[in-house]
Amino acid sequence: MTLRIGVDTGGTFTDVVAFDEETGALHVRKVSSTPQDPGLAIVEGLDQILEQIGGRSPADVGYFAHGTTVGTNALLTHRGARTGVVTTRGFRDLLELGRGRRPRLYDLQADKPAPFAPRDLRLEVTERVRHDGSIETPLDEDEVRAAARTLREAGVESVAVCLLYSFLRPEHEQRIGEILREELPGAHLSLSSRVLPEFREYERLSTVVTNAYVGPVVAEYLAKLRQRLAERGLAAVPHVTQSNGGIIPFEAAEELPVRMVLSGPSTGVVGAAGLCAAAGHPDLITFDMGGTSSDVSLVRNGVPKVTTGMELDGRPVRTPMLDIHTVGAGGGSLARVDAGGHLKVGPASAGADPGPACYGKASDTAEPTVTDADIVLHTLNPVHLLDGRMPVDEQAARAAVGRIAERIGLGVEETAHGILRVVTANMARAIRVISVQRGYDPRDYTLVPFGGAGPLHASQLARELGMRTVLVPPTPGAQSALGLLMTDVRADFSRTRIQRLTDDPERTAGQLGALWAELEDEAAAWFDAERIPEADRGLERTAELRYAGQNHEIPVPVPAGPLDAAALAGVLETFAAEHRRLYGYDAPDEPVEAVTVRLQAVGAVPQAKLPREEPAGEDASASLTGHREMHLQGEGFVSVPVHRRADLRPGNRVTGPAVVEQMDTTTVLLPGDVLTVDDHSNLVIAVGG
Amino acid sequence: MNDTATPPSPDPVLVEVMGAALSSLVEEMGETLVRAAYSSNIKERRDCTAGLFDADGHMLAQAEQASPIHLGSLIGVVSAVLERFPVEDIRPGDTFLSNDPYSGGGSHLPDMVLVTPVFADGRLTAWAANLAHHADFGDRGHAHIFQEGVRIPPVRFAREGEIVDDVFQLVLTNCQVPAERRADFRAQLAANRLAVTRYGELVERYGRATMLETAAALLDYTERRTRAAIAEVPDGTYAFTDRFDCPELEDTELELRLRVTVDGDELHFDFAGNPGQVRASVNMVRTALYATVYYAVKTLVDPDIPSNAGLHRPIRIDAPLGSIVNCVEPAAVNGRTETCQRVVDLIHGALAPAVPERVTAASNGANTGVHFSGWDHARGRYFVYLETIGGGSGARAGKDGLDGVQVHVTNTSNLPVEALETEYPLMVEAYELVPGSGGAGRTRGGMGIRRTVRVEDSRAGTGGKGTPSGDAGSPDGARDASGADSGTGEADGVQFWLDTSRLRSRPWGLFGGLPGSSARVELSEGARPVVRGHTVLRPGDRVSVVTAGAGGYGDPAERDPAAAERDTREGTTPPDA
Repeated sequence: MTLRIGVDTGGTFTDVVAFDEETGALHVRKVSSTPQDPGLAIVEGLDQILEQIGGRSPADVGYFAHGTTVGTNALLTHRGARTGVVTTRGFRDLLELGRGRRPRLYDLQADKPAPFAPRDLRLEVTERVRHDGSIETPLDEDEVRAAARTLREAGVESVAVCLLYSFLRPEHEQRIGEILREELPGAHLSLSSRVLPEFREYERLSTVVTNAYVGPVVAEYLAKLRQRLAERGLAAVPHVTQSNGGIIPFEAAEELPVRMVLSGPSTGVVGAAGLCAAAGHPDLITFDMGGTSSDVSLVRNGVPKVTTGMELDGRPVRTPMLDIHTVGAGGGSLARVDAGGHLKVGPASAGADPGPACYGKASDTAEPTVTDADIVLHTLNPVHLLDGRMPVDEQAARAAVGRIAERIGLGVEETAHGILRVVTANMARAIRVISVQRGYDPRDYTLVPFGGAGPLHASQLARELGMRTVLVPPTPGAQSALGLLMTDVRADFSRTRIQRLTDDPERTAGQLGALWAELEDEAAAWFDAERIPEADRGLERTAELRYAGQNHEIPVPVPAGPLDAAALAGVLETFAAEHRRLYGYDAPDEPVEAVTVRLQAVGAVPQAKLPREEPAGEDASASLTGHREMHLQGEGFVSVPVHRRADLRPGNRVTGPAVVEQMDTTTVLLPGDVLTVDDHSNLVIAVGG
Repeated sequence: MNDTATPPSPDPVLVEVMGAALSSLVEEMGETLVRAAYSSNIKERRDCTAGLFDADGHMLAQAEQASPIHLGSLIGVVSAVLERFPVEDIRPGDTFLSNDPYSGGGSHLPDMVLVTPVFADGRLTAWAANLAHHADFGDRGHAHIFQEGVRIPPVRFAREGEIVDDVFQLVLTNCQVPAERRADFRAQLAANRLAVTRYGELVERYGRATMLETAAALLDYTERRTRAAIAEVPDGTYAFTDRFDCPELEDTELELRLRVTVDGDELHFDFAGNPGQVRASVNMVRTALYATVYYAVKTLVDPDIPSNAGLHRPIRIDAPLGSIVNCVEPAAVNGRTETCQRVVDLIHGALAPAVPERVTAASNGANTGVHFSGWDHARGRYFVYLETIGGGSGARAGKDGLDGVQVHVTNTSNLPVEALETEYPLMVEAYELVPGSGGAGRTRGGMGIRRTVRVEDSRAGTGGKGTPSGDAGSPDGARDASGADSGTGEADGVQFWLDTSRLRSRPWGLFGGLPGSSARVELSEGARPVVRGHTVLRPGDRVSVVTAGAGGYGDPAERDPAAAERDTREGTTPPDA
């Protein structure tokens, strides 16, 4: 029971990482994904890595965690369950009306997202709760039964229930749930008071409908995978990641699949936070660049920043999640010249097929991709990639970039640099969203690139943002799988109760304390159900506060321990400081109110202790495999050393310009950059220029 | 530009990079404003915008979240400030306030614009401006602008970082909800301060000369793109007319008209022959007309053209002074968006033969504004609640129109019911699409919206038949005893004002598509009728505002059977299909 396994399913590859607690060795395996039945690749990867380690069996696995995009893909490809909605009379169309805005200001061809539940399956029942939680109109149970029958006859597989003010008074929803269970015993059921007991009816409705839509799909997938793994002899309870970066057992995930929409990218961030904290870099910005897009996020004091929601394909999804911002900028992003003569890159992508021109499958008129620009400049190996497994057609890349070069009147290499500068500007803009727009200065952070294309563009991106340090982790191509070995079990609990904090501090402190006590009871029940030992239990309290009159709340951490007037005063000071940091002012005379109180329950999981190597001195010549001509802006082609990542040792130094190659990525050092290998085998780059 | 020493053709890649940086800057301004504001209209409904201008007042970037009409209150503001204040008297840390359409570059009085000079190397280099629609000045007359609220020409609102308190107090004294106003102005100041910081960081990195040079190049780039897109529209002169009505004009209908000439890569809009300005709030000042035309051009030639002054160069607009589309003092302008929406319809209607695949049939034709105001006994304060309700969006060549959305010159969010009822003595009983309101066609027009609001008896505390649940926090502990006896009779009711259009006509279809349904108001029994858009509602009264659907596109007989089947199943079939 000494093996810890993380499996991350991506679009192209399924990454498997195994940590052997006995030997301290880390093993990585990539197998092709099987999108029709993702579980096949998982079992295959598990078999292969056990074989690779040397004849180990699934029974030796003491920990198994999985990151999946099954739920997200079902949402994006509209392959969810047939879903019905039961709602308050008068609000059947809220799902389509949303917040009333059209999707794009000027593009009249843009459409609103299609509702996951069609109009004829959205049914109203007579009932109404008031804003103070009192009941204006009691629930008409006969109507509920009639609605349930209509949904049953329509073949509905999943039902979302969302009533006004259910976060204040859930009884009507609960009663509807009971009736639906009687009338539609097989259907997946989602109550908004359970999925998201928070205010703003449209966002709550959209979230609960999303949960209902993917519920059966995710439940079926996890149940099947659980069975398969058990059949292979896996004894450990399999866990799956949520958008908050924590893991929960498969069974628990089946009820609240909406909490898994960012399952995949979130563990990459958690892994980076863990690695970098161990390496002495607690403040970082992660930069995960793949083929079609880049995900960026911010980690402060070793803790990834979280947010309460996002829009997925135009639909709001409110659940606790890591604050990951995605931009359509990847290696496959296409460059073009627009009608005004400007060079644009992305968000359109060449995808996996035909892929960049240099892969040899694109047409003779194809637009160049970012990867083609890298081939032209020789920042990427112009002969082959993936340790020699994939040949590269440099001439095709030059021809594609050349077609654009002609139109903007620049040389081929200058145009390739232009493509990289534009895509870098797009990525910098994404990083500004999660840093400067949240009041954090990126210059105080370490840039941590991963994904196939991250390390290739990191040095240039760091320069664009004024960042001084880049840290490339040991396995940038399997970062999410690695992160699965470094995460904890996490669950979130919340309540919305709008109340003033400044009127009567003693009394309010008591009321807030009582709310958290309720949430702590729920958390305790959850810990018990998860069989998490007392010693490993942790609770993190957050209050979302605003000045009375505002409508956007600021999350403020609330220390553990009894909440009294003095503790409350401390919370208010933190709030004022955050308000100043975010908006440049605070308002000491204005009353402050709490909106939502949150509790995150954390069950500590013993962490994989990654191997540490002895320092070997500065000389990196043992890793030198040769030189290649790389094009530097303003200088032309220059011969630069090429190093093999696997042969770099802690303490080794490499000075830019230079290239470090490994199987699934390439790290580029620009002139002035100085790379040092730390004793966790991270490449730490002091950015020059 | 002040600097002409540098060559006029900077690196196009750098210009693209700078464009991205300036867009980030204005988006961040807008986001700061929304998040720090107090009034529902800004914080939830996002009725605001932010922009960056060059030293001479040409727009360089505008936040995308804005309603296009907001451009009409921004494009004139810098020149209005420069007309009154010599450049040498303008200092870092100064901020100017204006809202007046006739002297301050505004387009109606609730849109308060704060504009802040940005200095680099000690010289005036750019201007940061933001606009917020302050939901104040409720329950007003609209015979002329003096009835509509306080008029503010450009005045110095902050001097070298300090608010000019005399001016601030004068403005607040003229507002109905001064506490909200104070906080909203503070949020607006924070947004401009942020722009000054961010611009400074860019100057630090690129230098002032490069900033100026790339800004000029950015406008040239936009102009080239706009011209290239216009050149694809077939040359010719295209004309269109439409009927206009609104509650204030009662039975009077006006005829709006337009002639557009496409000549190579330029457009000429000729509004000759439109009605004279009216004694009602629906007049447009020149900048409102310009903003409306620029919006429509963008939708028709290339929706991705950057929002900056380069777009304006190939477009010429002529409109008779003193007409409803180019009014002069003292015409009232508060409800100008009703007319703006119809100008967009005119432009789409005129150019339908030229670019049939890009135009839409008529949208709901209004920016339906519903204002409730009065004394809230339960919360002990005066309230003004403004909501604009969307409607049908016109059918497109290949797709149905969007149902129940904000169209054309506006794109504000609605106020969540759970936020509204917590804040005001009102209850929303229905918020739904109107089946059958979208005009039939090969593609169907978008459906209108019905929003039903009941006035609560705010004297009765938590209200009639409710049973307190115990754990609910009171939304607002403060009670003002002085309000408890604020009169009886009419003064005790809730003032209801409605701005809309298409009550008497229907949004037209295109190429055989049928019109959408008209807008209307429905009142509960015993409620006083709405006269010229106004009534007084008593506790228990219920008012439903029903907005128009949109026109269909193409022959209804050609509708895809699968789409027709869905209409039937979902109960959205147009009655005359």
